[in-house]
Amino acid sequence: MKPAPLQYVRPASVAEAVDALEEHGGMARVLAGGQSLVPMLGMRLMRPSALVDINDLGAELGKIDGRGEETVIGALVRYSALETSPVIAERLPLLQEVVRHIGDRQVRNRGTIGGAVAQSDPTGEMPLVCLTLGARVVARSVRGERTIPIEEFFEGSYANALEPEELLVGLRFPLAPVHCRFFERGRKHNDFALLSIAVAGSPDADGRWSGVRIGLGGVNDTPVLAEAAAARLEGRTWDTATIAEAAELALEAADPPDDVRASAEYRNHLLPIQLRRVLTDLAGAEPWKT
Amino acid sequence: MSETLEQTRTRANGVGAAALRKEDDRLLRGDGRFTDDVDPAHALHMAIGRCPFPHARILEIDVSAAAELEGVQQILVGAEVAQRTEPISVLRPVPGAPQLPYYALAGEVCVYEGQPVVSVVATSRAVAEDAIELIDIDYDPLPHVSDVLEALADDAPVLHPLQLSSNLLATNPQGNGDPDAVMAAAHIVVSDRFRINRVTGLPMEPRAIVAHWRPGARELTAHVSTQVPHLVRMQLAESLRLDEGDVRVITSDVGGGFGLKLGVYPEDVLACLHAIDLRRPVKWTEDRLEHFRATTHAREAVHDFAIGADADGRITAMTNTYTTDLGGQNSPFGSAQLSSIVFTGPYRVDDGFVQRRVALTNKTPVGAYRGYGQPEVNFARELLMDRLARRLGIDPLELRMRNMLAQEDLPWRNPAGALYDSGDYRLALQMVADAVDYDALRAAGRERPDGRRVGIGLTSFVERTGYASAKFLANRGSRYGAHESVTLRANRSGGIDLFTGVSSMGQSSETAFAQICSQVHGIAFDAIRVHAGDTGATPLNTGAFASRTLIAAAGAVSAAATELRDKTLRIAAHRLELDDVDGLEVDGDAVVVQGDPSRRIPLAELHMAAIIGQGIPVDEHPGLEATAHFEPEHAAYAFGSAAAVVAVDPETGDFEIERFVLVHDCGTMVNPTLVDGQVRGALAQGFGAALSEELRYDADTGQLVNGSMLDYFVPTAADLPPIELHHTEVPSPFTTFGVRGVGEIGTIPPGAAIANAVCDALADFDVQISRLPVTPELVWRELQQARNRSETP
Ligand SMILES: Cc1cc2nc3c(=O)[nH]c(=O)nc-3n(C[C@H](O)[C@H](O)[C@H](O)COP(=O)(O)OP(=O)(O)OC[C@H]3O[C@@H](n4cnc5c(N)ncnc54)[C@H](O)[C@@H]3O)c2cc1C
Repeated sequence: MKPAPLQYVRPASVAEAVDALEEHGGMARVLAGGQSLVPMLGMRLMRPSALVDINDLGAELGKIDGRGEETVIGALVRYSALETSPVIAERLPLLQEVVRHIGDRQVRNRGTIGGAVAQSDPTGEMPLVCLTLGARVVARSVRGERTIPIEEFFEGSYANALEPEELLVGLRFPLAPVHCRFFERGRKHNDFALLSIAVAGSPDADGRWSGVRIGLGGVNDTPVLAEAAAARLEGRTWDTATIAEAAELALEAADPPDDVRASAEYRNHLLPIQLRRVLTDLAGAEPWKT
Repeated sequence: MSETLEQTRTRANGVGAAALRKEDDRLLRGDGRFTDDVDPAHALHMAIGRCPFPHARILEIDVSAAAELEGVQQILVGAEVAQRTEPISVLRPVPGAPQLPYYALAGEVCVYEGQPVVSVVATSRAVAEDAIELIDIDYDPLPHVSDVLEALADDAPVLHPLQLSSNLLATNPQGNGDPDAVMAAAHIVVSDRFRINRVTGLPMEPRAIVAHWRPGARELTAHVSTQVPHLVRMQLAESLRLDEGDVRVITSDVGGGFGLKLGVYPEDVLACLHAIDLRRPVKWTEDRLEHFRATTHAREAVHDFAIGADADGRITAMTNTYTTDLGGQNSPFGSAQLSSIVFTGPYRVDDGFVQRRVALTNKTPVGAYRGYGQPEVNFARELLMDRLARRLGIDPLELRMRNMLAQEDLPWRNPAGALYDSGDYRLALQMVADAVDYDALRAAGRERPDGRRVGIGLTSFVERTGYASAKFLANRGSRYGAHESVTLRANRSGGIDLFTGVSSMGQSSETAFAQICSQVHGIAFDAIRVHAGDTGATPLNTGAFASRTLIAAAGAVSAAATELRDKTLRIAAHRLELDDVDGLEVDGDAVVVQGDPSRRIPLAELHMAAIIGQGIPVDEHPGLEATAHFEPEHAAYAFGSAAAVVAVDPETGDFEIERFVLVHDCGTMVNPTLVDGQVRGALAQGFGAALSEELRYDADTGQLVNGSMLDYFVPTAADLPPIELHHTEVPSPFTTFGVRGVGEIGTIPPGAAIANAVCDALADFDVQISRLPVTPELVWRELQQARNRSETP
């Protein structure tokens, strides 16, 4: 489990980093927390010509910023920083809850939000919550900066819209509803999900919900939004029948894999049941408090 | 021979005390010394090229490009290794099986994915791995077979056509009475086929070796992470065609063994060969990907079990024919052999028959793993016990009690020939029932307001610990005996150095041996220094496996400590000008005259006198050292009962283990803290195998699907249910101090208790479980099946 030969570059600025990526013509990889990349290098599943180590770029990429309605999180912000940040607690409580389900303490001390989104694991928690909260991905290359809506970002299992010479510099989150829930089932404690569900929305004084978003993990080759289910819930009060209908509609977004964690059949069986339970819980409860 | 505790006095850190572990200081400070910590100057590094197919013929190996890579020192292929070495021996061969000799590197045909095909030594591990990629091997994939039962079908590809006409390596029947006739006449028979999952032990420290050959000294020094340094020495000498005198094996701390590190593996032979050729130290540490394919797997078996009973639920006969998977070829130790001996469990069964069939499949070889066949057979029998209870309308607790051997029935020989020594089996079961408040739970019913169903699952078992005798082993072709040995040597600081071939792998033998030594000799626990695992310094022994170490070592330590103490007292009597040793004893750091504390001689003074031969009786030789060997007459049978209380969600199949209670007996506890640690550790592995662990092979390609920590679901501390432990302490009449083995017992009850609890919770649906692991998805599937069964009349 030793990496194939490669060069190692440690840029001192984002500008240097994107230069290095350009120079290697798309054959270099960014090294952030290394929690996914280093094992892949060891198994020689990845053979980049160079590693561009961004761990010195904390000043540019390591900040959490609340700016008006928007919350901006730098690519190099570690999971553990998200776990304890008061800004995140106030503005993105769902994100803070979800981070606690990722890996173990060591993984969370190293792993970064940028790395997790760039890794685009279809069962990963961070891609799911970014999708559910409608984040936008900010990417930079020598040609400049662009912003990619998260709905257009994930393109398949471990595949996304980043160009090989692009550096993910951060994520911009819109104002998030305070009513939210997260559910996850794995094969062991803090395992990757065989099924995960994130829900956010806002009820008005009459109990009518708006801005409903339902994200699903583990049931497709990317995290997906259960749009039909959300549409069924939008603008209504949630009685038992509505919830049950929405839960069944979520299956439209699912095309789950058969793998060592669970069969497709079992995931399809679980999805409506667990979504029904999550929605029932959310309908009758207080806003999220972390 | 049984010397019980009553005959000796209690001591501060003697037998029975919760002494703190001698091993912990260095381990907790990060000062343990594992094989990978051995880092000699000028060391070279080995990497292994492994077969990617389950079954393939090697057509050609081209190493030319690799040989030219800078840093590469040597490349070995199978033909050369076969010429220069002897096949690797099997420590515990399957009785009645033909030999299937194998060498460290594959010859013409590979029989499992991960089998070593080429080895490279280079200036670094990374360069060695680069070289492996440059070696061009032309394989011709052959038809393969993964499933144990399919392997025995007529059309299955035969793995070893030179020695065998099928993949059936051996059949080993054992029995007593006339079980067929009794079964035919039984009022009721329950039977089923039970499938046991293939798992592995995952020691935190993988295998490792550092080998160094000094040609002038003609000495091969091998640091090896192993449970059996003295056996590794023998096997290495044999394979490498050296004298044992030329080989020194050193084992310091071992980061877990669990049965996987029993004997010489191909990589050990290869590292030594390279070291001999290159005259430089050669190092190899297994990585986790290799570990999943190249270190022995365990447990996989299919059990056809049947129980016959009368209308009152009294068992009249038991039969069990089972097929175990050996994998592609022999492993260093050989596959599990204890399903047969304990197949009837703690129940009175006069007519019984058990038969083991060993099958070859194109998978990683199977070896020993904590439990060694006993969890497997316990699962099959105990699930059927519950089904029998349900069919007869008898409570499962009552059914077990009715059939369980009473204390006064023991010693008792079961139909497989096991001699159960002593114990109160019924008391252990009753204690379990009391601990979970069995009657109250039953009365509360199965339904919970939240829709979940509650179930209680029981299991009772006996466990063989240790070996009957060297004679028993020799009859079965084993290459080791049943004894343990120890050398005690007084030192000039007034302490004792204790030398043992038992390496330290977490079982706390250093602590336990020192407690026994202190108990018998009288010297303070802290003044005993244990030196373990160096064949150049320790007396020849057997090793740390089969829950046997203490059963044999207690006798050896006890005998050596007695000899050393007696000589020490004789010298003290001489120096105190007493006629004899009456009234003298060792008390911590001195010999004292009982009743007269002013008359004492420090041990340091006595040891010095003995060592230099000054001021000792004329008829005594100088020196203060004793070596003793001890072989128990019989194995000792540990036993216990367990209960799991689970709450099952019938909609999803999810279940929560709310309580898990184990009452068990390992005879006299030398140290209750160590006992609890051993039981909990084994339980964790038992829960893993029961709930989530399973090595899965792709049906088409025959390749291991989940050979990494990402997809092999070994539980973490956060995954374990709450565990409640209670003990009974019935001494074994067969062992020193009445000890029984304790290292493996925890692997036995989880599967059966949990599966019985889930089935009990879902009894209204008549759910039956017949395989492991018990996952939520399996529970959901069985629920569906049960519903389908009830819908189709
Ligand atoms: C034991 C263990 C358990 C884990 N459990 C979970 C879990 O439960 N759930 C889960 O979701 N994940 C889990 N992970 C994976 C973990 O979340 C990773 O940390 C995460 O996927 C990647 O983040 P990283 O910063 O470590 O990225 P790295 O490993 O450094 O990089 C990952 C990939 O992203 C690319 N990349 C990184 N940063 C950038 C950037 N700024 N711009 C462009 N490309 C970039 C890299 O080139 C690489 O291809 C686990 C990992 C381990 C080791």
